[in-house]
Amino acid sequence: MLELKDIHLEIDGKVILKKLNMKFEIGKRYAILGNNGTGKSTVANMIMGMEDYKPQSGKIYLDGVDITDLDMSKRAQMGITIAFQENVRFDGIRVLEYLTLGGKIKKPLDEIKSALKLVGLRDEYLKRYVDGSLSGGERKRIELASIYMLDPKYVILDEPDSGIDMMSIETINKFIDALIQRNIAVITITHREEIAINSDYAYLLCAGIVLKEGDPVEISKYYKSMCDVCEHPNEIHLVKESETI
Amino acid sequence: MRIAPDYSKEFEKIAEAYEKSGGKADNLLDKRIASIIISGDKVIGLNNVEGVEIEAGKQDLGVWAKIRILKGKKIAMPIHLCTGFLGKEGEQRINFEFIIEDGASVDFISHCSFPWSTKLTHKMIAIVKIGKNASMTYADAHFHSEEGGVTVISETHAIVDEKGRYSNTFELTRTRVGKLVVKMDVDLKEGAVANLESKVRGRSNDEISIKESLGLNGKNAHGIAKSTIVATDQTHARIINEAFGNAPYSKGHIECTEVTKGNQVDVATLPVLKVTNDLSELTHEASIGRINSKQLATLVAKGMSEEEATEFIIKGMLS
Ligand SMILES: Nc1ncnc2c1ncn2[C@@H]1O[C@H](COP(=O)(O)OP(=O)(O)OP(=O)(O)O)[C@@H](O)[C@H]1O
Ligand SMILES: [Mg+2]
Repeated sequence: MLELKDIHLEIDGKVILKKLNMKFEIGKRYAILGNNGTGKSTVANMIMGMEDYKPQSGKIYLDGVDITDLDMSKRAQMGITIAFQENVRFDGIRVLEYLTLGGKIKKPLDEIKSALKLVGLRDEYLKRYVDGSLSGGERKRIELASIYMLDPKYVILDEPDSGIDMMSIETINKFIDALIQRNIAVITITHREEIAINSDYAYLLCAGIVLKEGDPVEISKYYKSMCDVCEHPNEIHLVKESETI
Repeated sequence: MRIAPDYSKEFEKIAEAYEKSGGKADNLLDKRIASIIISGDKVIGLNNVEGVEIEAGKQDLGVWAKIRILKGKKIAMPIHLCTGFLGKEGEQRINFEFIIEDGASVDFISHCSFPWSTKLTHKMIAIVKIGKNASMTYADAHFHSEEGGVTVISETHAIVDEKGRYSNTFELTRTRVGKLVVKMDVDLKEGAVANLESKVRGRSNDEISIKESLGLNGKNAHGIAKSTIVATDQTHARIINEAFGNAPYSKGHIECTEVTKGNQVDVATLPVLKVTNDLSELTHEASIGRINSKQLATLVAKGMSEEEATEFIIKGMLS
């Protein structure tokens, strides 16, 4: 189990996450919902161990082991990985090299091709470069395929649907299903109800705190009816304790 | 091509050097492929094919060669230029003249390989004349010794006539550089297109100096000059990319990427854009610094070590 306990995180003196508690179990699907700037990516980056995203207080546990002070590389070795919200480009690196991390991942070609197929891309993409010549949606799909090539225990998908057309929400759901079948915990950050409602558990973030959690259908409904229209500023100091629970 | 019997031993060594630098020695013996093989100050092999006229001879401390592609001839197989130096110390001066006549088209693959030289100065001056509607690509790969005692001074002056096309790439990424001075300038006439590119990786106390210059002198001339440098250890690098927009609707883009690793490198880049015709458009991009942290994070999150990720990214940039 991956557990965030009483997380308080500030960046440049600004409070981003506050009293945050979350739990993720392997083989289960999670959704994190919330308006722009509420701290969803911050949660993701913090779990992954990105520099600048160290909590000032609170702990992160992986199967009971405190990993709060471990760097990203250690956490990756322990089975945590992420598809970042924004996907960087790599000049001169072909999709095939990218998916196998330059040969570090040794899997038969068939398996690599099925990773591509899973995200709706044809074999021809193996020869393409992971550079500016890919469209935003293609790049996103390559990123998802590269996650599929790994053997992680916890996968964070930070807005896998951004840049991918509505038709392909189904692709993303199938992709998540495929990870779940491999007994991986999938934590999906999304604004899309169609993705959120398929999860086992959902968290709704508002101004850096967990505003609601539980049944994804209910949380999605609440998010749609309340947050979509909310003019609630995402400045944490403006959120009163009483308003948020 | 036939190698004269008294050169057969020498050819074997040169072929070995050639293969080290990524060339395929078989190609040097293929009769269908025009080529010239230079060892020190000797031409040890020369092969012409239809449409190609290569003349060459000895000169003080080196070799001259005049390479002419006849009017309208499209040369199917790339011409191979193989330059080597077998001695440990010395100097080699090479003068090339390329004349690509109107409407002709040709590709060159050049390998300069000095794997055994501890103290060598290699000076190459190339004059390139590309005719109307003609096209030439020139890919030059260097392979130096690991001692760092090789000095290369490479100068190319090119003129590309109306609607001609020219591409020149220089690559020195697999070995120590030693000392490198590259100068490329191109004079582009109406509708001519040029693409200049250098990729160099510096280690230890390597010194790199590159100057690429685009003269957009004809209406609608287009040019790109690009340098990618990876500087590690105490590498010293100075890169100048220039574009001069002197004609209407000419377009130029210059780009310099210098990736640094370690805090002892000394690198600089200077973009120069000058317009004398207000219908010309010039742009530039430049960056100096460590490997993009987002690129690193993306790979480290997939289980690569920072070292592996860095190498992976650099290899891509230089490929
Ligand atoms: N590296 C950083 N430096 C400064 N501020 C940051 C940094 N990362 C996040 N923030 C701030 O923290 C807040 C939460 O940002 P975060 O990216 O986590 O939001 P989000 O919920 O993922 O939003 P979105 O839906 O737009 O992706 C924002 O106010 C943002 O500006
Ligand atoms: Mg975000």
